[in-house]
Amino acid sequence: MEILAMHMANELLSVPVAAITLLVAGGAIAVTARRAQKTLDPEWLPLMGVMGAFVFAAQMINFTLPGMPGTSGHLGGGVLLAILLGPSAAIITMASILTIQCLIFQDGGLLALGCNIINMGIVPCILGWWLYRVVSGKDAVVPAWRQYIAAWAGCLLGVTAGAALVPIESAFAGRLSIPVTHFLAVMIGVHLLIGVVEGAITFAVLAYLRQARPACLGLAAAAQKENISRKAVALSLVITALLLAGVVSWFASTKPDGLEWSYLDHKYAQAQSAIKRPSGTIDAVDELQTKYAPLPDYSARPTHMGAVGAENTDEAPSDDAWPNINGWTSLAGVVGTAVTLVAVYAVAILLGRNKRVLGSGPSLTSGRSECITTI
Amino acid sequence: MHHNYIDKFSHGDSPVHRLDARAKLLAVIAYTTVLASFSRYAVAALVPLAVAPLAMLWLGRVPTRFAVRRVAILSPFIVMLCLLGPLYDRNLHWVAFGPWRFMISGGWLTAASIAVKFTLGLLALTALTCTTPFALLLEAMRRTRVPRLLVMQLGFLYRYLFVLIDEGIRIRRGRDFRGARRARATRRLAAVGGIIGSLFVRTMERSERIHVAMCARGYRGEPHSLNRLRFRPADGLFLAVITLYLVVCRWGYPALLS
Repeated sequence: MEILAMHMANELLSVPVAAITLLVAGGAIAVTARRAQKTLDPEWLPLMGVMGAFVFAAQMINFTLPGMPGTSGHLGGGVLLAILLGPSAAIITMASILTIQCLIFQDGGLLALGCNIINMGIVPCILGWWLYRVVSGKDAVVPAWRQYIAAWAGCLLGVTAGAALVPIESAFAGRLSIPVTHFLAVMIGVHLLIGVVEGAITFAVLAYLRQARPACLGLAAAAQKENISRKAVALSLVITALLLAGVVSWFASTKPDGLEWSYLDHKYAQAQSAIKRPSGTIDAVDELQTKYAPLPDYSARPTHMGAVGAENTDEAPSDDAWPNINGWTSLAGVVGTAVTLVAVYAVAILLGRNKRVLGSGPSLTSGRSECITTI
Repeated sequence: MHHNYIDKFSHGDSPVHRLDARAKLLAVIAYTTVLASFSRYAVAALVPLAVAPLAMLWLGRVPTRFAVRRVAILSPFIVMLCLLGPLYDRNLHWVAFGPWRFMISGGWLTAASIAVKFTLGLLALTALTCTTPFALLLEAMRRTRVPRLLVMQLGFLYRYLFVLIDEGIRIRRGRDFRGARRARATRRLAAVGGIIGSLFVRTMERSERIHVAMCARGYRGEPHSLNRLRFRPADGLFLAVITLYLVVCRWGYPALLS
């Protein structure tokens, strides 16, 4: 069963944000489709559709994570597809996968489809493909370690950048009840790990294709089997760990906990708690909220806005500015991330205790994203 | 896994099945939009919105147990989202329920609101997919000017999805039976790479065969469909009723409440 679906739900979005993201995603698909139709061989048309089905099948092949019995990862597929088919074909394929997941498996909301296509299709395909190209170079002979670093970096960037958009989109929608920086830190932290798993599987596939079908990768036939050096693996893991510690604490440290208590001190909050007339139902609060807040969550809390809503920065005290690097708070950030990961791990162990082999039912019908799955 | 599992009710016959796919698609999109437009503290105001999906499921003869199971299967992520609310949002709100009035923290209101919205949205989507064959849904999308390439991809994807998922499950079972779990991590990773890589090569070859077969059957770059959509008076009536209903739910009922 999956515990960390990245598919965005309708509940995290407001209508304007959903409309904008749907328009952006639709425009991007229309442009890509036109480009693809011009440049691609007609033979590629069935290829892309069947490749979408291939991604579903590839997601069935799970990889039990070392050192974490009961937890396994599987491929997300966006970056791999972009490497193998090129970004435009990969974007169309990912968009059709996400649409099918929404309509048939009801995974990810109808209104959130635009967000999901951007977060899990367009962004990983373009960014991941770009970084992979930059690192691996265009030579016909690429050493294995360089390809490994390229796959790792591409997946890390693509997956994490896509996931980081989820909190930002829901913050703009004003649907978050938790501070956006906390959500951002958790999403980035967890998806750095997911990105590493994605990178490892992507590289494993590329390593196989180097041997079996080098033409798929635009490479010359490899002479013999090459092992990647331990140094490359160690380097990638150390950089990931540093990123995890650094970036996550950077974000997590910007806002203290207990936001809600300081919120109570605020003038609008007083206005809200002042509603004690007999008919003060939920709707009265709603009305008040819509009256005072075009962006309901963030404009009401100028000192706690984080990355979004920069229009009110004049009210923000300077020591609370974003980003805020402070020894104690960054320590708190690292500890918080570690606690979150341990909690995820504990849930994984608990859920995986009775089920040794992943059943087909729940996994097929629930989220099929870049996920850590528990078995 | 068979497409029959998800698709089994869509080929039935009922007043809902006979409606035009475009009308149903439009109605579900409008319904979801209205649902999302409610504030995150709205709970009581959402109650009348439950009528439409339940009525469509009932008229479309979709077993309630099936729909409820879909909601349950997809709920874990949403439950997590719900439970985060009460941890952070502790402002107290007055809630009136008949003659009783009590205070409740905003987080719990948000949690309840998210849960209700999630359930209703999912029921509406289930009602759509359980009363409309996927081919008709594709035809509706094609007629509403969704990029043609995307619609074609969706068609191919739907056709081969279950074939390849089955293949993936078979391969995984074979690997697990051969004791792959006890191998070292690097060996297991190499095995996963080999399996997915060969699956990729096989898929490439399969798509070439599909293309040749399509050309042999007269494919010249444009898909042909025997599905005909007809927009009848009943569909117009359906849309009018849904519009009226949504307007009442969005503006009429909340005004009545306050």
